[in-house]
This record gives sequence, structure tokens and C-alpha cells, in this order.
Amino acid sequence: MPNFSWTIDGTIIGLYLLVTMAAGLWLRKRVRRVEDFLVAGREMNLHLGIASLAATEFGVITCMYAAQSGYTQGFAGAFPGLCQAVAMWVIGATGFCVTRLRDSGAMTLPELFEKRFGKLVRWLSGVVIVMGGLLNMGVFLKIGGQFLCFVTGMDTSYLVLIMTLLLVLVAVYTVLGGMLSVLVTDFLQFVVMSAGLLVVTVMILWQIGWQKLVETVQVHHGDGGFLPLSNPGMGWSFVVMQILMGAAATLTWQTVISRLLAAKDSSTGRKVFTRTSFFFVCRWMIPGLWGIAALAIVGWRPLDDLKESERVALPAAVVQKVSESPVGRPLEKLSPEEVASVPASTQSKLNDASLNAMPKFLSGFLPIGLMGLLIAAMLAADMSTDASYMLSWGSVIYNDILAPFRRRPWSDAKAILWNRFIIALIGVYLFVFGLMYEVQGNVWSYLALTGSIYLSSMSVLLIACCYWRRANNWGALCSIVLGALVPVLHLTCEKVPALAHFVAHVTKDHAGIAAFAASALGMVAGSLLKPGSATPAQASV
Amino acid sequence: MNAPSDTHWFWLALIVAVVVWYSTITLWVASRGALDIRTMVRRLDEENDRREGGG
Repeated sequence: MPNFSWTIDGTIIGLYLLVTMAAGLWLRKRVRRVEDFLVAGREMNLHLGIASLAATEFGVITCMYAAQSGYTQGFAGAFPGLCQAVAMWVIGATGFCVTRLRDSGAMTLPELFEKRFGKLVRWLSGVVIVMGGLLNMGVFLKIGGQFLCFVTGMDTSYLVLIMTLLLVLVAVYTVLGGMLSVLVTDFLQFVVMSAGLLVVTVMILWQIGWQKLVETVQVHHGDGGFLPLSNPGMGWSFVVMQILMGAAATLTWQTVISRLLAAKDSSTGRKVFTRTSFFFVCRWMIPGLWGIAALAIVGWRPLDDLKESERVALPAAVVQKVSESPVGRPLEKLSPEEVASVPASTQSKLNDASLNAMPKFLSGFLPIGLMGLLIAAMLAADMSTDASYMLSWGSVIYNDILAPFRRRPWSDAKAILWNRFIIALIGVYLFVFGLMYEVQGNVWSYLALTGSIYLSSMSVLLIACCYWRRANNWGALCSIVLGALVPVLHLTCEKVPALAHFVAHVTKDHAGIAAFAASALGMVAGSLLKPGSATPAQASV
Repeated sequence: MNAPSDTHWFWLALIVAVVVWYSTITLWVASRGALDIRTMVRRLDEENDRREGGG
């Protein structure tokens, strides 16, 4: 029975929502220019930048997939956070690419690419960025709703209602205030979110104890729960993919670089990177620890997620094998015939058991009052992420994809109106996609693969744009097409039953690494093959 | 049951570092971020006044 009180916890949540909405709407009248709307007039200072970047990069989705990694892979599941923290610190300290990007005065990456590779590359980069970004964030709303249903003990039939409410609240202040509202609400959300995360973590360490957490990981995962290379679900391909992803996400993930581009200068932007870098360890370690605590207290009981009628409908042999399955892989011991005998909706619930373990554990672990703080913290995390993501992808659609259709510069009023309209459309997409799409397997792997649709080619383009004098538009086009083709093919094959066996042995990590390799190869081959490429035609940015 | 891996000390050190660093940065950013917002709003107002005044 969840420890949720509508009077006490509901009041805490209501107060939080009231203050956030008021802060979000407070700045809407100060949005006069499109630059105010998209990059807050480039007036963001260091502390606001740290709060905003941290709040944006920690959503309920982050909490859920990092907890799932902790639950299914132990401490080793936090490895991606270490990779990104190191990548962000090194890039911030050296200014690799990011100094040139900020100094260029561009509002988005494709805008920078136009200066070097021409209009077509700008447009195509915009399309790839938006495609990867929207596929990536398409699952945010549903998973946020799932979390709230589980911790409050509400029936999942309320999922659509919760998704709608979350979306409307976020869309209102993002549409009206743009980046200015996002920055201010991010600041409030960072404070609330951090308080909730820290209190719950300290309580878990205090009440469950370090020794029990370590023993749980050892019993369920062995040494692989501590060392990524010893973990059968990770290995070299996972490690390589995380290193590539960490570096590429820091360089090109639109929500990350939009903080760099909103900074008042490149020095401030670099400081935001170096001083936020360790947060990326926190964003994996804290929920990862919650996931391990869920395994220690609740254990691995995937059949508990089924209704009584669904459980009795399963053959006895299937029930036996599922209950003895390894953590996070409920269908692994079943034969193909047995898998086929399990209804799709039941399979989906069993597969989601590892994802839902953490919120179910917290719903019984936290006392009344702290539950309100946790939900306010998670709402803060979710709203800041959704708002920033909607604004970031919206800015690329407006700035780069619609650019060829603007023969004359638009007035600021018209530009802001279009940006608002685009953000509202993204909101509708989020809602529809969230209801329709079912993630197969590990959520983090899905996010990494959809992100690699553009992370691979955009990071290659950015590095080549800044440092390789022979890079040209042929190379850029080959890089974009090849970098996007590999993950899109993989995702398509996975969803089409007739093609699924082609990718059965290709993990999402393999596909992601192949995307980076194909993209780099495309850049080198295309650039060298273009007639006259022996003489560098244009200087680096 | 096997003895817990020796590497668990690394993870213990990391979680302690996470809690200490995160608490510190939250307090620091909470106190200084509010000033940043005030400065940002003032600059935007000045910029808007200047633009409107200049035509």
C-alpha cells in the first residue's frame, strides 16, 4: 500500500506546481526578440547555467532508466555516467569544439554547419537532429506518467490523464516564455529536485545500509555488478558505445549545447561544462542506488506485476521459468513456442517489471510527507526536461528546417509566434507517440540508439568543421546519411516481424558503434572523393 | 554466497563523493542562482528599453 496522503503530500505537490507556474509565466512579457525566446538573449550566467543544465539532464526518464540499470546490472550500471562526466570535464577544460561553436554566434549546430558546408547540409542536419531528438524524447511522457502512477498507487488507467496534465503544465510556460521561462523554472526545479534526490538517497543508505546493498549486487549479479567488463549484459561493445556517446552528447546534444549557446561568453559556457560534469555521475549513481535498494527490499518478482487473471492464464511451465528468470530478463528461459503462448500485453508487463521496480519500492519505503517531496522532485525533474527538450528541438525546426522557406527575415513577433506553434505541435507529438510506442528491452539502450541517429554524424561534422580543413559538403552529406541509416535500419528491423531475425544477434550497442564508424568513414571518403578536394577550399570555423 | 567484490570500495567512495558534492553544489547554486536571475532580468529590461528608446 503506497504511503501517499492526498492532504499532506498533495499540498506539497500543489504548492510546488503553483510556484513553478507563477515563475514560468512571470517572464513571458520580457520575450521581445526571437533570440530572447530561443537563447534567453544570451544573458545566462554561470550558476543559472549549472542549475539549468543539471535540471534538464535529469528527468523522470533518467531516474527510471538509471534505476533500471542499477536493478538489472548493479553498480556497473552507473558506468555511462562516469563516461559522460569525464567527457564533459575534458571538453569544458580544453574548449574542444565548444569554444569555436559559442564564438561563432550560432543559435544551433546546423547554423554553424551552413558556414562551412552550405545550406543543404544545414537543412539536412536539422532534419536528422529533430528526427533523433523526437524519437528519443517520445517515450519521456509515458515513463514519467508510469512513475507517478506507481508511487502514488494510482491505477495505470489514469496514465493518459497524468500524461495530459504534465504536458499541459509544461507546454503553457514553455510556449509563452521560451528559454527565459525555462531557465527560471529550471532553477526552482533544480533546488526542489536536488532536495528530494538527496533526502531519499541518505534515507536509503541509512535504513538499508551499504553492506546489504553490496551483498544484494553480489548475490544477483556477481562481479559483473561491480565491473562493466565482467557483466554479461555489458562487455566491450557497451563500454565503447558509452565512451562514444558521452563525448558526442556533450559536443552536440541540443539541450546541452543550448546552455553553451545561451551563456554570455565561451568562458562561461566552458565553466558550466566543467562544474556540471560531476553531476553526470550523480544522475546515474543516485537512481542506480535506488534500483539496487529496490532489488534488496522487493527482490525480482516479475509475476507480481500481472493481474490475477493474467497470471492464471499462463501455462504452469511458463510461470515456473519466469519466476526463476535472471533479474531484468523475464522471458529469457522460455522457448520460442512458450514466448508465443504469452499474450503481448502480458509480455509487455513482464518486460516492464525491472523498470517499475524502483517506483514500487519507493511507494512503500518513504513515509508520508517525504512522498510529497519525492513526487514534487520528480515532477520538477520531468517538467524541466520536457520543457527544455521541446524548446531545443523546436528551435532547430524553426531555425534550420524552416530556414529555406523564409525568403526574407521574419519579424520577431512572427518568429516567436511560429516557435510557439512548433512547440505546441511537439507537445501533441509527445502525447501521441508516448501512447503508441512500446520500448523493447532496456530503456537506456533505446535512448542511446535513437540519440545515435544524430549524435554520430553531428559529432563527426562538428569536429571536422572545427579542425579538418579538407572536410567539405560531400563528406558532410555522406556522414549524415550513413550515420542515420544504421540506427534507423536497426529500429525498423526490430519492429517488423519478418525482418526481426536479421537483427536478433545485433545489440543496440553494436548498431550504435556501427553508426559512429559509418559516419566517420562517410566524412573522410566523401570529402576526399569530391573533385578538387586536394586543396583545402575553406578555412575551418 | 561469494564475498563481495573488492571494487565495492570504489563504489562506496563514489556514492559518498556524490552525496557530499551534490549537497554542496545545491546550496551554492541555490544561493547564487537567484542573483543570476535578477541580473539576467535587469539586463534584458535595459536592453529592451534601449531598443525601444533607439527607435
